[in-house]
Amino acid sequence: MAKKKKNRNVAIVGVGQTQYSSHREDVNQPEMIHEAVSLALADAGITIDDVDAIVHGNMELFEMVHQPDLWHMLGTGGYGKDSFRITTGGTTGATIACAADNLVASEMYDVVMAVGFEKLQEGHTTGGITNMADPLWSRQLQTGALTGSTGYKMEKEFGEERANRAAMMYRIMMDKHACLNHNSHRSFGLDFDQMDDLMENSPRLVGNLRLIHMCSQSDGCCVVIFASEKKAKKMAKPPVWVRDHITVHREETFNIFGFDENYPVPMTHRFAAEQLFARNGIDSPVDYFDVFEMYDPSGWWGADWMKEFFLFENDEHLKLIEDKEIMIDGKMPINPSGGVTAANPIGATALVRVAEAALQVRGDAGGHQIPRDVNHALASGFGGTMWTVLMMLERELNW
Amino acid sequence: MSDQFGIKVEEIFDTMEERFRPEGAEGVDASYGYDIQGVGKWKLTVKDGQMTIEEADDLGDCVAVTITDADTFVGVNIGQVDAMKAFNSGKFKVDGDLGALGQTAKMFTKFVSGKKEMTVGDFIQDMFATLEERFQPKNAEGLDVTITYDIQGDGGGCWTATIKDGTCVLKEERIEKPTVRLEVGAADWVDVMLGKVDAMTLLSAGKAAIEGDSSLALKLGEIFSKYIAPGEMAEPEQELVRLKKVISVNHRFATGPVMGKFLQGLKNKKIIANKCPECGRLQLPAREVCAICRVRVPGVVEVGPKGHITINDIAYYASPDPLTGETRETPYGSVNILLDGCKGNETFWHLLRRDQIFEVEESWNEKKGTRVRPVWAENRVGSIKDILYFEIDK
Repeated sequence: MAKKKKNRNVAIVGVGQTQYSSHREDVNQPEMIHEAVSLALADAGITIDDVDAIVHGNMELFEMVHQPDLWHMLGTGGYGKDSFRITTGGTTGATIACAADNLVASEMYDVVMAVGFEKLQEGHTTGGITNMADPLWSRQLQTGALTGSTGYKMEKEFGEERANRAAMMYRIMMDKHACLNHNSHRSFGLDFDQMDDLMENSPRLVGNLRLIHMCSQSDGCCVVIFASEKKAKKMAKPPVWVRDHITVHREETFNIFGFDENYPVPMTHRFAAEQLFARNGIDSPVDYFDVFEMYDPSGWWGADWMKEFFLFENDEHLKLIEDKEIMIDGKMPINPSGGVTAANPIGATALVRVAEAALQVRGDAGGHQIPRDVNHALASGFGGTMWTVLMMLERELNW
Repeated sequence: MSDQFGIKVEEIFDTMEERFRPEGAEGVDASYGYDIQGVGKWKLTVKDGQMTIEEADDLGDCVAVTITDADTFVGVNIGQVDAMKAFNSGKFKVDGDLGALGQTAKMFTKFVSGKKEMTVGDFIQDMFATLEERFQPKNAEGLDVTITYDIQGDGGGCWTATIKDGTCVLKEERIEKPTVRLEVGAADWVDVMLGKVDAMTLLSAGKAAIEGDSSLALKLGEIFSKYIAPGEMAEPEQELVRLKKVISVNHRFATGPVMGKFLQGLKNKKIIANKCPECGRLQLPAREVCAICRVRVPGVVEVGPKGHITINDIAYYASPDPLTGETRETPYGSVNILLDGCKGNETFWHLLRRDQIFEVEESWNEKKGTRVRPVWAENRVGSIKDILYFEIDK
């Protein structure tokens, strides 16, 4: 894949997030959106008059029908402005970020506000996810996003004991990060000495995927403001530059997960990472990046996907986990925010990854700021039948 | 017993003045009597937006007299007793103008008990005291189960509910091998029942444990109606309204000719794949093009119908079937089957006969691969459900 042509540089200049929680029954959809919009505008030091266009979206099937016609203008402030509504499943938030970047890079707009939100309590999450499957075929067989297959794969690769410990250790480290982030929906205060107990006693969902491994169902909104280089340099906060992004899809079937080692099926995560890093001249992503905000729907997926995103061949990812190098003060911090198991308002979730990566680069993450310079950040989005969005952010405009 | 809910009849009359809403009494000029049997009589007089309440023997000039017992009166006032039910059952009588009495509802804000905070132990006792009446037989049809609540710590105890033939009996006892046993700290359980914490959060954090049939535990919210604490009916500062909607829409999906052949095949007890002319892989179900090679895939190939299991994914989580809205029974086996004639990843996704799921190795079946055959529905309509499930071929 050739490098994408960008007409001009684009930076993230403002971030706003609501508190994530299981219930935001005190506000309706536009009111909740408005909270994050206000915070993002204040962060950028601008008003809604300075925004040229709005890209907004959620994963509509969770609030069930009629969502595509709701533009939440009362919350976004989009009255009279060019607006785009986007939904791409789990990657919605990441696609919103990519679209906002493209709109500014194209020179069509100088300042674009990206809005991702979800109120999962208003619908039925597992019912919604099941509905996303092919109506002619797999919708009748699916159980939401739940599968034990990643567990089987890792157990086969690394043995039952090591695989289970790695997934649970990953989960506990994410919880430790979540405890540092006041926006977290869930932070339990888990400790490593609970590992054996949780591996044994946390209720099973499918196979060895247990309740504790799985992401939450959250309400919340995230807003990220993108601006052209010229505008960005005049804003209140230091700009965080969007270097590149990539989206990779595959066919919409669930019956091919690459189980037979004689017939490997490449994952979109690895494919996307290979393309993105190659065209940006990055040989060793694990050395290059200072933080990775990953869309990690469960402890198993988080642990397993590190291998794909960092293009590892063996057990390097497990070693990073076992050595606690993915913690906030480690060699390769992953999800200092707590990640998706801490908060998962799905239409916002992938945009939160971008927002949190940007805050880290800016040094503004507060209680969960990585305690050293963050120059290069990676954020991922994940959707449905295995598709991937990756976005790279930079502190300096020097690549 | 006039303080069954921890509240005396007098408290309700004594607080009337502070609960009085003049705007609700506009234009009212009347007296109302209360004959609380075994306790006393009271007379409420309302005029010019003002009120007085006094103990009185003679209620002769009242437009309406409420006649009831202390329990019912207190229960209705704190929302623990349904007024219409009490009225219909004769426990709550009105002598005089019923419509006039109705006006009094607008004149007062709800009574809120000023009594001491309930302790964890009080809550636990009250929760189990009300468990049987909160039982919802229609949501427990066909259930024959025992549920043990092992509530630990101060104020705790052990209770077992036996549900059978649409009835629920609770005893304070521990039994051997209940269908499901819940173990949780008393304070945590109170928080769950009052809706301050969701049970999943506790389970996730390892603060609660489920032993036995966890899918039954997940249904407790349906089997028992929500616990409401005594005096909890007070109106919040501003009532937030939640609209509940159930949407049911009929969909019609076009299959297209290729998927149509596949579904038509099922109707005729055949499983149809097609083969990419470039990479040679079989697509199952048959699809219009090979997405990888971007070429049309002509023709069809019949595979199976028998094959061997490559993956047995056992689901314990009771998820809804989006097509029916009904909760699937758990656990069930979601299986990938390599049908005869297929290789590698060309697996077919379906369900395993429920009583056989533990006869097949869970997760990957790399070596053995149990042989299975489809069980066809009698009335086939051209749907994946034309195969009910696969069963072991023995």
